[in-house]
Amino acid sequence: MKRTCALIAAAVLVAGCGGGQTATTEPEEGGAPGKVTLEWWHLSTSDPLKTIYETRAKEYQAANPNITVKMTVLENEAYKAKLTTLTQSGKAPDVFATWGGGVLKQQVDAGLIKDISADVDLTNFTTASMAAYQFDGKTYALPTDIGMVGFWYNKKHFEKAGIAEPPTTWTGFLDAVKKLKAAGITPIALAGKEKWPGHYYWAYLAMRIAGLPALQQAGTDHDFTKPEFVQAGQQLKALVDLEPFQRGFLGAGYSTPDGQSASVANGKATMELMGQWAPTVQADSGEGLGEDLGFFPFPEVEGGKGAITEAFGGGGGMALGADAPKEALDFLKFLTSTENHTKAVESGAVLPVLKGVESAVKDENLKVVAESLASATGFQLYLDQAYPPAVGAEVNDSVAELFAGAKTPEQVAQDITEVAKSESE
Amino acid sequence: MTTVTRRPEAETLPAGPRRRRRRGRPRNRLTIALFVLPALALFLLLVVAPILVAGYASAFRWNGFGGLPTDFIGFGNFTRLFASDIFYTDLGNLLLLIVATLVIQLPFALGIAMLLHQRIRGRALYRLVFFAPYVLSEVITGVLFSLILSPENGIANQLLGPLGLESEWLSHPDSALWSIFVVMTWKYFGFHMMIYLAGRQNIPNELIEAAKIDGAAGWKIFRYVTLPLLGPTIRISVFLSVIYTIQLFDLVWILTEGGPAHASETLAVTMFTLGFERAQVGYASAISVVMFGLSLVFALAYQRLVMRRDLEGATTAMGGKR
Amino acid sequence: MKRTTLPLHAIAWVVGAFILIPVVYALLGGFKSTQQLSVNPFGLPSPWEPGNYTEVLAEGSFWRQVWNSTFIAVATTVLVVALSALAAFVFARFAFRGREALFTLFTAGLMFPFAVAILPIFVMLRTLNLIDNPLGVILVQAAFGLPLTIIILRQFFRSIPGEIEEAATIDGCSPFGFFWRILLPMARPALATVSVLAIVGSWNNFMLPLVVFSDELSWTLPLGVQQFQGQYSSDTARVLAYLVLAMVPALGFYAIAERHLIGGLTAGATKG
Repeated sequence: MKRTCALIAAAVLVAGCGGGQTATTEPEEGGAPGKVTLEWWHLSTSDPLKTIYETRAKEYQAANPNITVKMTVLENEAYKAKLTTLTQSGKAPDVFATWGGGVLKQQVDAGLIKDISADVDLTNFTTASMAAYQFDGKTYALPTDIGMVGFWYNKKHFEKAGIAEPPTTWTGFLDAVKKLKAAGITPIALAGKEKWPGHYYWAYLAMRIAGLPALQQAGTDHDFTKPEFVQAGQQLKALVDLEPFQRGFLGAGYSTPDGQSASVANGKATMELMGQWAPTVQADSGEGLGEDLGFFPFPEVEGGKGAITEAFGGGGGMALGADAPKEALDFLKFLTSTENHTKAVESGAVLPVLKGVESAVKDENLKVVAESLASATGFQLYLDQAYPPAVGAEVNDSVAELFAGAKTPEQVAQDITEVAKSESE
Repeated sequence: MTTVTRRPEAETLPAGPRRRRRRGRPRNRLTIALFVLPALALFLLLVVAPILVAGYASAFRWNGFGGLPTDFIGFGNFTRLFASDIFYTDLGNLLLLIVATLVIQLPFALGIAMLLHQRIRGRALYRLVFFAPYVLSEVITGVLFSLILSPENGIANQLLGPLGLESEWLSHPDSALWSIFVVMTWKYFGFHMMIYLAGRQNIPNELIEAAKIDGAAGWKIFRYVTLPLLGPTIRISVFLSVIYTIQLFDLVWILTEGGPAHASETLAVTMFTLGFERAQVGYASAISVVMFGLSLVFALAYQRLVMRRDLEGATTAMGGKR
Repeated sequence: MKRTTLPLHAIAWVVGAFILIPVVYALLGGFKSTQQLSVNPFGLPSPWEPGNYTEVLAEGSFWRQVWNSTFIAVATTVLVVALSALAAFVFARFAFRGREALFTLFTAGLMFPFAVAILPIFVMLRTLNLIDNPLGVILVQAAFGLPLTIIILRQFFRSIPGEIEEAATIDGCSPFGFFWRILLPMARPALATVSVLAIVGSWNNFMLPLVVFSDELSWTLPLGVQQFQGQYSSDTARVLAYLVLAMVPALGFYAIAERHLIGGLTAGATKG
């Protein structure tokens, strides 16, 4: 009697736990033996790139029947968060989109990324496009896109407000903002909720005032309290004080129906400071401006150390997880082959990372971007990618608070410094 | 740990059945062990141990990568936390939400409960509808309201605009937290209403009748008879609200991610961003520890000072909120 | 009642509108195109465009998320109810040293849902290799569900008169036999209550699946809703349709299990 009792109790327990176990292993299993599954993560949720990538995956599977490409496509914010949790758990997808810089470096340091230096031929890639993915002379990703951030504007609005030429100086820019306001037009659209679009302003001002070397130095000495960085904040505050943004901008998203992109696309606001993908997203989130859309580089700040020809931006690349099967490398090469890269460039979704593909750029504005980039005298990667994640996030965060009037320029400089110092040894 | 006592008479078991044939037999020991150990093991492994791990990790600078943290900094994370503005913003937001809940949401729920206790036609339907938001997930609620409260395209402004009640809702630091409170009220007042209704139904009608015979009416009956008798119920609903608010995450994360400019941030949101987006797991663990401490201190103090006698009931209803 | 109930109805109607407008807006909005939604946010759709709904329903991902949510909810419930019933039985009907201390330990767990422990839980699941594994969510949910379930079941087990147990014992029933053949069948209402609570809790859980699942194939419905909103953020009507469809299982379940749900939530609160 005693024994039966214990046995039954044990049986119940085993059934309780075991039932869960057997059933849950089921979705874990990949393809049948002999087959290879490539986990591919990227964040191109909108066309044309979304479809292009789907097509590439299909083509590749058709050419290699034993390989299945499993795509995970996440929207920007979700992508960053999910990739962080995954990499923290000691894993990385086989092939995944990266911006390079400090984030990739941290993943490299954790031993999660495959060193592909010996396996790839870099002669065709432009130097600028490779910079974000090379550390200590080793290569950890191949680029798929490179571009820069600048002002995308509505030419009709400029005309209406009596602005003849896109401004080339910061004073001229502030004047333009005032003229637009006077004409009853919202000068600038901003996605305050997402924070990263806001950090472009502070980063560019810091580049123009403190100069590129200063920003790079701050990355190593962790000191953002230099007077020039505070001045960058003060100039930004001067802009914020003009109240140039759309209503509710602090809570606005980037690609939502009432977000930054749609505001410009639907003619509700004149300008946005955004990367090379801006026209694509505008066409997706709103009506699009067509011929009326123009581009001009971030203006120079009088007396600053930086030049208007220095570009801020980044691209995108694909890195391989340390444990990725060898087929992943082959797939990466397929993705970045001249033929496939040309197709992506022709669609207007990306800018060339390979020499000789420049002519594939069709859009007039993108040509301007590509040319500005090609003739750039200096280049700075997005700060939230260039610095380690905690520091980059603090830049975004502090600048967002500056936009909201919750932090002074001095506090911004101080808080970034504090995080940078506490994260270093 | 779970040894069978040889003299169970020493313990008085309230309302328990007789246990004469149980005491001290080895087979009972086996039964006890086999029955309790599985639950205990799971509980220790996944509830108790993580809390201890949080305490341990909070003493390190740790980006969460790799095996175990190695860079010991003692109370460094706490010093840093207590010196940071966001921490005090979080505490301020917590306080404001608690006060708003106690002063607005719960009285509102109580009022509606009293209303639905009247024999009005269709009250079963009202009850069903008012409670329904409680079963919807925070994510669905959050996404729905983020669309409704959009300053440009949302229907909230289109509906309330003509009344002069336009607002930037979640998009402005001054209104974000209040907007979240509105959504919380939408989702949770039905829960508290249900508790109050059940409490009210347990009050014998004779007491109310007796008060009427004594000449009391309307408000007086409510104030001097109903309300005191609802005391235990109200105390529990307050307790649940406070504990829930200390942990508040899902709704805020979906609605504002704590913004604009941390205006609606909560401790859990700060912890989540630090831990999962900034890879500052050690620092974030310090916030876990603080949240744990706050919940514990509040729970102990409240149970000791406010609801000594309602303890059993409190613990029973507690999980309901999550 | 001599007084007119008209003012009471008026109040109930206003509150009802507050509750229902968002849901009805979503329901009707799903039948519009986003274009139509922006010019006609309140009216009935014209024309009715069921496309948003049918497209979501035709997508494999929606059904997969429903299945994942269901599977995780059921597995969690079975596990937590089984373990809790065993423990609650001992806590209710056995006397042993340290019983109250042990019981208090469990009840203390009530104060600490996932939020407090999410980081260390993540670290532990990682060590146990349970990231991206449904078991990671199931086990943790079950662990955190133990306190409430044990308390409710213990209370119920206690209320069963000792005479029944004595009679059973005289008939030669072992403790387990009594538990299995007599107690559990009698406790059906209580088991239903705790099961419903566990199902709803698991169904709506967001934070835990958010950190455990990165593979889209194992996502639950709340994760799917969040991702869908991110992905189709420019297409409001479509998001509304997805929201409405994601509400249906929860509301349907509520309609069926209302009694148990409310009973469970309010039982303890009022018996104190």
